[in-house]
Amino acid sequence: MAIAKAERLMNLALCLLGTRRPLSKRELRESIEAYLEAGNDDSFNRMFERDKDDLRELGLVIETVENMDGEVGYLARRDSNRLPPITLDAEEAAALGLAAKVWQQARLAGAASGALQKLRAAGLPEDVDPYEAHGALEPRIPVHEAAFEPLMLACRDRRPVVFEYRKASAARPEPRHVEPWALECWRGHWYLAGFDRGRGAERVFRLSRITGKVRSRGTGFTAPVPDVVTVRETVAGWAGEIADRSALIRLRSGAGYPLRAKAVKVRELGDGWDELEIPYGHGLDAWLVEFGPDVVVLEPAELRADVVDRLRAVAKG
Amino acid sequence: MAARPARTVNAIDQTRRMLSLVTYLRERPGARIADVARAFGITEDELVADLDLLPMCGTSFRGGDLLDIDTDGERIWWHNPAALGEEAAEPLRLAADEATALLVAARAVSTLPGLRESDRQALLRATAKVEAAAGEAAGASSRLSVTFESEGGVFADVDRAISERRRLWIRYYSPARDEVTEREIDPIRLVSVGHTYVEAWCRRSEARRTFRLDRVAEIRILDEPSAPPVMELRDLSEALVQPAAEDPEVVVEVGPGGRWVAEYYPHDSADELADGGLRITLRTPDPASLRRLALRLGADGRIVSPPELAESARAAAAEALAAYDTAV
Repeated sequence: MAIAKAERLMNLALCLLGTRRPLSKRELRESIEAYLEAGNDDSFNRMFERDKDDLRELGLVIETVENMDGEVGYLARRDSNRLPPITLDAEEAAALGLAAKVWQQARLAGAASGALQKLRAAGLPEDVDPYEAHGALEPRIPVHEAAFEPLMLACRDRRPVVFEYRKASAARPEPRHVEPWALECWRGHWYLAGFDRGRGAERVFRLSRITGKVRSRGTGFTAPVPDVVTVRETVAGWAGEIADRSALIRLRSGAGYPLRAKAVKVRELGDGWDELEIPYGHGLDAWLVEFGPDVVVLEPAELRADVVDRLRAVAKG
Repeated sequence: MAARPARTVNAIDQTRRMLSLVTYLRERPGARIADVARAFGITEDELVADLDLLPMCGTSFRGGDLLDIDTDGERIWWHNPAALGEEAAEPLRLAADEATALLVAARAVSTLPGLRESDRQALLRATAKVEAAAGEAAGASSRLSVTFESEGGVFADVDRAISERRRLWIRYYSPARDEVTEREIDPIRLVSVGHTYVEAWCRRSEARRTFRLDRVAEIRILDEPSAPPVMELRDLSEALVQPAAEDPEVVVEVGPGGRWVAEYYPHDSADELADGGLRITLRTPDPASLRRLALRLGADGRIVSPPELAESARAAAAEALAAYDTAV
């Protein structure tokens, strides 16, 4: 039976951590059973390079040094791999325990547990059950978008990417070449902010509209990364939550609670209708049409015309 | 389709865990399997799998022994802790992904309105300590952020009702029917998946329901004790509303401008149409509630079936238009 990859990685990690002098590839091959069984040099070399990358992903700092004979050797120095002293009390530990459970995405869930396990090994108190400590709260961060993981890594490593993106109202996706800055989850959806090379400007992308694979393209950013990335403001603008004007509507009594909740002014007309002044931002026409015959737009004329157009389209069937 | 973090054996996660495990076990001779599994957030089976693997590992090149770790099924014994030098057993620094995962989650949780102030303070202190200990590895965590949305006052009342086991009275807005109804609910738990919801036993419908906090128009904590029937908690990570197979089917055809429907409505299928639109099939216990959707879509889509739903949207639009003909 083939030797489990976890066993191989663990042995490589322990060898590199336990040594005081650089170990050559040959020495490592001789001391790790899985490498002895690896077959020819090519397959051993490929396996060894992959394993080193995997251990680096786990946070291990592996140095490559030439020894006196000019042979390349590897070691993981304790100084560069030791967790600095950290002391957390029971409450802090419970709070982190809750936070470590919120990821719904395998890679980040694994990484968060891994972080907590390292802290446990360093003496993090463990007698408090986080759910007991935090009552009934169960926050979850949803990640359903396939583009999330490659974009997370690209943001982390500052690597430009290419992907096919379908704008909200576009029939076909178009390729976009982006220098990714940051990912933000708002209202349960993930967004990417970055520099769009094709448009020569900052853009925000909704991850669920990325079709197909995210690919790395080229190295290095050409545009400066801003200190503050404002994904939320951009998305709020799309959602019509940035209103610069107001509208006047008639609303049937008892109907349209969310419109009432947003209203600046409400006046009872007495004939089964109320008059409301509400903020007028992008998308208000589509929202008002949802209320059908319970809403009549009075002002402005432009909004009134938009609503009538939409109603005509539906009435036509 | 489970969105639950994969519990399949992942060599990376297992290696990461075993590296911490050896440090942890070295300090605790005779540690109990149950305690260690809980401390590491894994099942006892997963821990036993690690314990099976560890005796195959060691710093073998130095001529050191393999780790002689075994268990009697209850406690864990390590017979040669010296096989791992003092230095090789020290806790390891956090990787960039580990720091990011923990810090982003901690920052998100700390912004939850309604989180108890003492818990928030503890979390902020812990976050600062982890940032300091992570050093450079914490840098990339600023490239990821999460905001939970929830209504602070409502959240605090629900949280209090749950911890004091008391019934709640709410006025709740249902967008499907565009109406606000009064209900008494026995709250079970708060769930944050994008929006924040309370899962509760609804005494009006005598069923388990989830209520989105931003749709709670008014809330009061009652004196009566909360007494929800004993229920198994569902995994709500995939979707809070899971349509049943017996629910009626609705077919909607949308143009390119209506493709968002597939993003917002859980559906059985979405087939590409020649014009760049989609033919979406979904299920809902109450097709009439989709009249809003038909009206909203306007020229961007239409209901294909059931015909009554399409007709009711047409009638509503015609009635609404009449008001514009007569009004000045």
